[in-house]
Amino acid sequence: MPTGRWLFLLFALVLAVIAALAIGTIGFGPRESWNAMFGRGDATAVFVVRQLRLPRTVLALLLGAGLGISGAALQGVLRNPLAEPYLLGVSGGAAVGAVLAVTAGLAFALVPLAAFAGAIAAVILALSVAHATRGRGDPRILVMAGVVVGAFANATIMIVMANADASKIRGAVWWMMGSVADASWSQSAWLAAYVLAGGAMLVALGRTLDALALGEDSAAGLGVDVDRATRNIYLTSSLVAAATVAAAGLVGFVGLVVPHIARRLGARGHRALLLASALTGSVLVVLADLVARVALPPAELPLGAVTAVLGVPFFLVTLRRLI
Amino acid sequence: MALAGIPRVHGLSPDWRVPVLAHTTAISAFCLLAFACSGTQKPQSTTRSFGIDDFSDTIRIQARPTRIVSLTPHTTEILFALGAGNRLVGRDMYSHWPDSAARVPNLGQGLRPNIEAVIAAKPDLVLLYASQDNRVATQQLRSAGIATAAFKVDRIEQFDRLTRLLGRIIGDSARAALVADTVKRTLDSVRAKTQSLPRVAVVLPTWDRPLIVIGGGSFMSQLVTIAGGHNIYDSIPAPSPAVTLEDVVRRNPDAVLVGPERAAIIRGSPQWRTLPAVRRGRVLVIDTSVTLRPAVRLGEGAVSLARLLHPELAR
Repeated sequence: MPTGRWLFLLFALVLAVIAALAIGTIGFGPRESWNAMFGRGDATAVFVVRQLRLPRTVLALLLGAGLGISGAALQGVLRNPLAEPYLLGVSGGAAVGAVLAVTAGLAFALVPLAAFAGAIAAVILALSVAHATRGRGDPRILVMAGVVVGAFANATIMIVMANADASKIRGAVWWMMGSVADASWSQSAWLAAYVLAGGAMLVALGRTLDALALGEDSAAGLGVDVDRATRNIYLTSSLVAAATVAAAGLVGFVGLVVPHIARRLGARGHRALLLASALTGSVLVVLADLVARVALPPAELPLGAVTAVLGVPFFLVTLRRLI
Repeated sequence: MALAGIPRVHGLSPDWRVPVLAHTTAISAFCLLAFACSGTQKPQSTTRSFGIDDFSDTIRIQARPTRIVSLTPHTTEILFALGAGNRLVGRDMYSHWPDSAARVPNLGQGLRPNIEAVIAAKPDLVLLYASQDNRVATQQLRSAGIATAAFKVDRIEQFDRLTRLLGRIIGDSARAALVADTVKRTLDSVRAKTQSLPRVAVVLPTWDRPLIVIGGGSFMSQLVTIAGGHNIYDSIPAPSPAVTLEDVVRRNPDAVLVGPERAAIIRGSPQWRTLPAVRRGRVLVIDTSVTLRPAVRLGEGAVSLARLLHPELAR
């Protein structure tokens, strides 16, 4: 990808972050927001910018990066342009964990843990289904296994929700629509650890992904242990996706659409694609959260819906240019 | 339309004018006393503690909050009844009563409120519903240095406690006692009048698809008991359980208690006609304006329900 495009992405991210900090329900002037960012001026403004807007913006940024990178890796390893973190049971498993925690009346602080556990369980289940059919490295079998695990998870959620009382259903639905409204620094720190470690590992596997893109046989001919590489990449990207789901619920569409936009921006080769997807994902989710906060004040829109609303037009434009 | 035997609701006309004079005197006397006593003491710190709220957080508030945001319809209603409506600088979107509440700025949802909008109102106290959905909001407001108090109000006792607590917080315990006692007295006298009468078994559907009814956890079930009825789902602890129509038929209530818009649906529904009570025309329409929530109009609610269940009382 040309340096100019990288700079453009970085610049877009910086602009999105500044906009997310400066704009909100309370209208501060540009000078006031700027001062507030550095802890100067009116105490209320400082609190709103630094304690309310900054943590959620940081979480949105990490969330976008994690989903973007996870989606790009999964599309590469499964050689399927429709692959995304949520297609493969991660979201379903996480949702089962979260819904069970909410309806069992566990403290809200435990919901992310339950979601994470559910996601991991779903991924392991999908992998063992694929393993049982001796198709561990076969992307088609992995996709099928993921879809089936997802369907099973959906059915479980419906059974649990059918008998839950209204207030708990509301809590569970809220979680499933995705939001960074409850962002805290400790959440961001956890997510950052997963996104950085998982992202670094996937980027390191970039060359392997490039080889896999040529097909199993060619990859094997290039000396790649296809089964092992497939499993590692699948697991790592699912882990990153599971961490994002634990931090902010289900934010759909980012993992699917962002890699296509990154490709359209000229990212060739998986290293560039993974990094560009992380950046693009960050920009998209930071902007989506800004729109979610200010579109219909004083209400807040579900982040997962806004990412789709913003992402679809982008996607359609890229699709048109591809054809 | 006087209801013989059941007293009118004392002094709870919507404009709250009736009780004002009586306790203004009481308050003046109290203030004089307080003033006299405080003469020898040094002025204390401005924050006071009011015990713990339903999140188990200590309520620490300035002695006299003057800018209150009320994010539940109950607290809005009670504050107006206590004559503190003019201290409200924000309310949730469902706080419609009394009419003057419409003049208070609407800050949107009371569950998961928009924190920026709340902070922009510059409140010194925010009242919220004690739902898990509001945990984070409460923490954020507290770390912004704004006092919060969160309450669950699903039962009649909770209304009583909340009213007296809000009275202490706004510095008008006398008026709060008056409001709470008035409601209590009305409920007691309705209970006394209906005690000897045969219980009317009722079902209270609030939703169809799925069919949701009032369960024992709701104040409505308590109100029905006070008014001389018996909610057939009183033994289910949830406030609004989902049940099947077949089970309703099995429990065979004497009457169906519903709001006006649902009554038409039930009367016209072939499924509901399986229920003998519906075939006999025993679909009784509740005055939902007074039975909507456990708040200041609880007494009126009990009176209107008793009138509905036991029309013979009116004679």
